[in-house]
Amino acid sequence: MKIHTLHFLVLVIIVVTGMYLFFYAQGNRSLQLTIGITSALAYVAWGLIHHAIQRDLYPKVVVEYVLMGLIAIVLLMTIFGP
Amino acid sequence: MWIQLRHLLTPHHTNNHRARALHVDALLLYVLVFAIFNVSFRLIYRIHPDILGYATDIRVEQLLTATNAKRQAAGLSSLQLNSVLSAAAAHKAQYMFQKNFWAHVAPDGKTPWDFIIGEGYHYTIAGENLAKNFSTSTTVVDAWMASQSHRENLLKSGYRDVGFAVVNGILNGEETTLVVQMFGTSNQLAVLPQVSPVKTEESRTAVVISEAASQSSISGEGRLATSLPLGFTAAYRQPLFDLPTVSRGAVLVFGGFLMALLIVDGWMIAKHRIVRVSGHTIAHMLFLTTLFISASAILQGTIL
Repeated sequence: MKIHTLHFLVLVIIVVTGMYLFFYAQGNRSLQLTIGITSALAYVAWGLIHHAIQRDLYPKVVVEYVLMGLIAIVLLMTIFGP
Repeated sequence: MWIQLRHLLTPHHTNNHRARALHVDALLLYVLVFAIFNVSFRLIYRIHPDILGYATDIRVEQLLTATNAKRQAAGLSSLQLNSVLSAAAAHKAQYMFQKNFWAHVAPDGKTPWDFIIGEGYHYTIAGENLAKNFSTSTTVVDAWMASQSHRENLLKSGYRDVGFAVVNGILNGEETTLVVQMFGTSNQLAVLPQVSPVKTEESRTAVVISEAASQSSISGEGRLATSLPLGFTAAYRQPLFDLPTVSRGAVLVFGGFLMALLIVDGWMIAKHRIVRVSGHTIAHMLFLTTLFISASAILQGTIL
């Protein structure tokens, strides 16, 4: 339980840092997109490391996190537009 | 019907205790749909910007009013619209389109001050703010105000004059609306032979440049009548569908659907204490929530 809490604390730090940097880069769309993609990659990495430590990292789980990261990226690209 | 919806939207033994709409193949489908959506929109925008494009309504008088409103709110004097500075701003915008760059200093080293002096406005202090691809005058000024360095420029007490140019063109292959705002103070009234100014203050940041000249020679007053930047005072476009509105709407609807699925999934899994092999629903919710909060604050345009 303690390790689980620690892992989620790390995740909170990742997403809050990503959000802070995103707001900090306000007005610079290419930098914001880079921050968004980096945050998505960090989230996927977090998911994989977390499940590997929990010993339940199966291919289906890997694909799920990768697709969540991709969904985040395509949604950001949609909002940013051409 | 009900059974199909339950299978699609809620965890149940028929879908291996995970809503069908959250299975990896469904997630892959969402990625593909939005990728196709993106490509289609970009194509339509390039081919028919009159059908799907950026609605734009930016006017110099609105920019001036908004700028002076911010200055007055900060207890500063209003700036006077100066047509010489506006001409300098228009030429700067044209130069950016011509040389295909987006920066305060051109690739050939030409600075904003070259444009200002080139129009005959000799300054004791001058500055420049840039913006591109905003939809309204208010959002342009609000974006400048949200950036510390641009706000400092906009609220500098030493400025007396301001000039604007709003210009449409093609930048990096894309239709772009540029807004150039040039500030200045000139203490010369007589027309004198042109002398290059001596810089006494270096540019402060890469974002907003502010320089002062200790020696001024030519006032812009003498060129007011001949330097009016006609055709650069407004940008107005009204496509059939506003691209940002359509895109944000699609993301909002899909985001709401995905979050609702995850909330139902998390609640039912916790309620029935189901153990399964999958990613963490709470982690997905946390990640997507921060994504949507961040995305809601994306400005349409860019400032420099």
